[in-house]
This record gives sequence, structure tokens and C-alpha cells, in this order.
Amino acid sequence: MNFSLTDEQQAYKEKVIEFAQNELNTSYTERDRDSVFSREDWEKCAKFGLQGLATPTAYGGSADEVNILTATVAMEGFGYGCKDNGLAFGLNAQMWTVQFPIAQFGTESQKKKFLPKLAAGTWIGCHALTEPNAGSDVYSMETTATKVDGGYILNGSKRYITFAPISDVVLVFVKTNPKLGKWGMSAFLVEKGMEGFTAGLNRPKMGLRTVPFGDLFFEDCFVPDENLLGKEGAGWAITNSSLEHDRCTILAGQLGAMEYQLEETIKFVKDRKQFGQAISQFQSVSNRIANMKLRIETSRLLLYKVAWLKSQGASTMMESALLKLHLSESFVDSSLDAIRNHGGHGYLSENEIERNLRDAVGGVIYAGTSDIQRNIISKLLGL
Amino acid sequence: MEEKIVAFVNDQISSNQTDEKIEAQDDLLGGGILDSLGMMRLISFIETEFGIKVPPEDMTIENFINIETITGYISSK
Ligand SMILES: Cc1cc2nc3c(=O)[nH]c(=O)nc-3n(C[C@H](O)[C@H](O)[C@H](O)COP(=O)(O)OP(=O)(O)OC[C@H]3O[C@@H](n4cnc5c(N)ncnc54)[C@H](O)[C@@H]3O)c2cc1C
Repeated sequence: MNFSLTDEQQAYKEKVIEFAQNELNTSYTERDRDSVFSREDWEKCAKFGLQGLATPTAYGGSADEVNILTATVAMEGFGYGCKDNGLAFGLNAQMWTVQFPIAQFGTESQKKKFLPKLAAGTWIGCHALTEPNAGSDVYSMETTATKVDGGYILNGSKRYITFAPISDVVLVFVKTNPKLGKWGMSAFLVEKGMEGFTAGLNRPKMGLRTVPFGDLFFEDCFVPDENLLGKEGAGWAITNSSLEHDRCTILAGQLGAMEYQLEETIKFVKDRKQFGQAISQFQSVSNRIANMKLRIETSRLLLYKVAWLKSQGASTMMESALLKLHLSESFVDSSLDAIRNHGGHGYLSENEIERNLRDAVGGVIYAGTSDIQRNIISKLLGL
Repeated sequence: MEEKIVAFVNDQISSNQTDEKIEAQDDLLGGGILDSLGMMRLISFIETEFGIKVPPEDMTIENFINIETITGYISSK
């Protein structure tokens, strides 16, 4: 069993870290405070080739074939080098839940139309499943598309959508035939400016504030036939495939963040003196460090296992659920431990310790809450 | 082939606590016999048992609505 990265993967990871540390880490504290997205950083990432990792070269991407293992390692490096967790989250959201499904299910003309712009960073895309009455129970969605001459008429709304306020293209899931249950769900590529389609304003949130987030509204919105992604009824297959990939890479950035969080915490507890000695000498403090390290190592094993299985084309239902649950909860726990070890210094926003905790909480909710991951695991165990 | 799939699906159903046995024409996913995870498990079972790869593009109602269409799909691979 060999868990080491190839020289090529290690070198690319280091290049990503260097890029993120040198090119991106400016103004993120102010943008976190004011909930501002940096289009400039987004474009820099595209120029570096990050968005391209989820798109084949023929459509403006950076790999002949999308390599999930390389992308995972790259995003781990990105999370380590880039302090803006929202940016890492936004990149993954677009790459795996918009670009990847278009590359996998799109027609030639859809791929040519959307992928080069998304990979180049000139367009931003979002993936819209969640609705007011359909969260964890996503298949109970109420947004519909009715067939008319030359296309479909969409009616309904979506909420809590990453990038909703600024997206140029929305991959939206709707019911085309409610009588067919899960087979009656289809996916459409709705473009900004289409009549009847509007996006709400950015909605302030607890963490990941540097990524806009909000609602989408469809009121008698006509979408032409050529914007149907996959066949009518393919919505189920598309969401399954993209969410499994999303669960793998979206958390890679968090793992990278946990790594620098540990390094910074170790440095602090060695420097900070109380009762005449470094606080690292107190077992209560060093136990928290040991737990943080353990969470990183166990999370990494799960992450690499899922990435490796996916790269072999294997199904990873159990492994992805274990990974999503463990890594997201670990980031929350370790962020709390980091604050505890920093004392009052960790609680002050200006010291940038508490931000990770706020950013981590979203991870136990999006792409299936921790409860839903536990349900999947126990069901797969035959319960 | 059909028997193996029926047996597997019946296991799924028994985990859902129903006594009814399924028929070859029953709509598995749309009819709620299998939930989304159950369908993914069935596809995974088919891949292992029959040595085929089911790409996401093939996971359509035409191929997977019921056991009859599933056996047709497997035979066509
Ligand atoms: C930062 C962030 C980004 C997001 N981005 C997107 C996006 O880009 N696109 C998109 O479509 N959605 C997005 N979402 C929405 C997200 O997918 C949903 O919030 C999530 O699926 C939960 O749905 P809900 O909020 O309606 O909660 P609910 O489903 O109402 O859940 C409320 C509580 O009930 C529990 N619960 C519900 N059902 C069960 C059950 N069967 N068993 C046990 N417990 C249960 C949940 O675990 C939770 O604790 C995002 C959310 C966040 C926080």
C-alpha cells in the first residue's frame, strides 16, 4: 500500500502553495468583515490553472483528462497557502458541481459555450438544488419546468446557493415530470439575463463570507432546449455524480487549512508563557495539539482514499460519507481547540484565529449535513 | 441474472421493513421501492456482480426503471 504522492503531484502541490501564499493573501480580513468577494483573486486562480483542473484541455482546461487525485492534492495545497477559506470553497463548488457535470453530461456545443469561460475565470457558475421546502430532502423540490415549443418554462425558487448573486450561469435542478419521482428531475443551464430569471442580493452569513450566497427566482422563465443538460430526467444521475466528487475535493481545502492552523497554534503555545513556563508544557494544552494532529492524519487518510478510489473509477458511497462527516467535524473541533489554546488572543477577530471556526461550521451543513452522512453510513451498514 | 437482482433488491426492501416482494416491472426509484442510496448500491452491485461499468450518463429511466430494463441494459453491454 503506497500513500505517497508522485514527484509530479508533490511539485504541483508546492507550486499551488507558493502561488496562494504569494499572490492571494491580501485584504481577506477586511473582505471577511465586509462580506466582499475578490474577482481579482478569482481571475488569478484561473490564470494559474485551478479552475481548469476540472475541465479537459479541449475546452480550455488544464488536463487531458480530469485527474481527481491531482486536483485533490492541489486543493489541499491551496487550503494551506490561502487564508481565504471562502475562495477555496467557491473554487471547489464551481469546479465540481458546475464545470465537471457540464464536461461529463454536456453536448459538444454546451461544452464549447460554457467551459472555456468558466475555466478562464471570466464567467462564474453555481449549482442550485436547495429550496425553501427541499433541503436535506432535496428530491421534494417544487421548482418545475414545463415543456413548450422549443424549450421549457421554469417556475420556482432556490435558496442558500453559493455564488447565486453573481453567477453568469446557473446549473439548476427542477422537476420536469413530478409523477416520475426521482426520475422526473432534470438539469438546466440558465444564463444571466434570461427573461424571468433573477438572483437575490448577497445574504450575510456566519462564515465563508468572501463568497457571495443567496437566492434564485424563476418566474415563467423560458429556457431553450439546447440548455437542457443531459437527457430529460438525468437530474438524479447528475447530482449523484457531482456531489460525490464535490464531497471529496471541497474538503481538501479544509485539510490544508487545518495544517497551517496546527502550525500556528504550536508556534503560539511554545511562545506564550504563563506561570513561568511556555503554555505548551501544560498537558491540557498539549493534549489539544495532539488531538488536532490526529484529526489531520485521520482526515488525510480518508481524503486520499476517496480521491484514489475515485481516480480508479470506483464508487465511494461509504468512503465519501465517512470523509465528509469526519473532515468537516474535525475542522470545527480543531478550530475550537485552536481558539482554546490561544485564549483571549484567539477570540479577537484581528488575530485571525476565530475566522476558521466560523468558516468550518458551513462544512457540517453543505453537501449533506453530518446527520445525513451518518444516515448514509448506517444505512450502508444495513441498519 | 434477474433472480440475482431481485434477491438483492428484496434485501434492500427488507431493510425498509416491507414484506412485499418486488416484480420485474416495478418502478424501483420513481416508485420509492429504492431510495437514492439504494439505487446507487444496486448499481454498484451490478458493476461488481456482472463485471460492467455503469457510467453516470447511463443511469437513466430507460435503463434503470425496473428489473426488466436493467437486465436488458446489462445484456446490451
Ligand atoms: C455555506 C453553504 C453553502 C451552500 N451552498 C449550496 C449550493 O451551492 N447549492 C445548493 O443547492 N445548496 C447549498 N447549500 C444548502 C445546503 O445544501 C443545505 O443547507 C443542506 O442540504 C441542509 O438543508 P436545510 O438547510 O434545508 O436543512 P434541513 O434539511 O431543514 O435540516 C435541518 C436539520 O434537520 C436535520 N435533518 C434533516 N433531515 C434529516 C434526516 N433524515 N435525518 C437526520 N437529521 C435530519 C439536519 O441534519 C439539520 O440538523 C449551502 C449551505 C451552506 C451552509
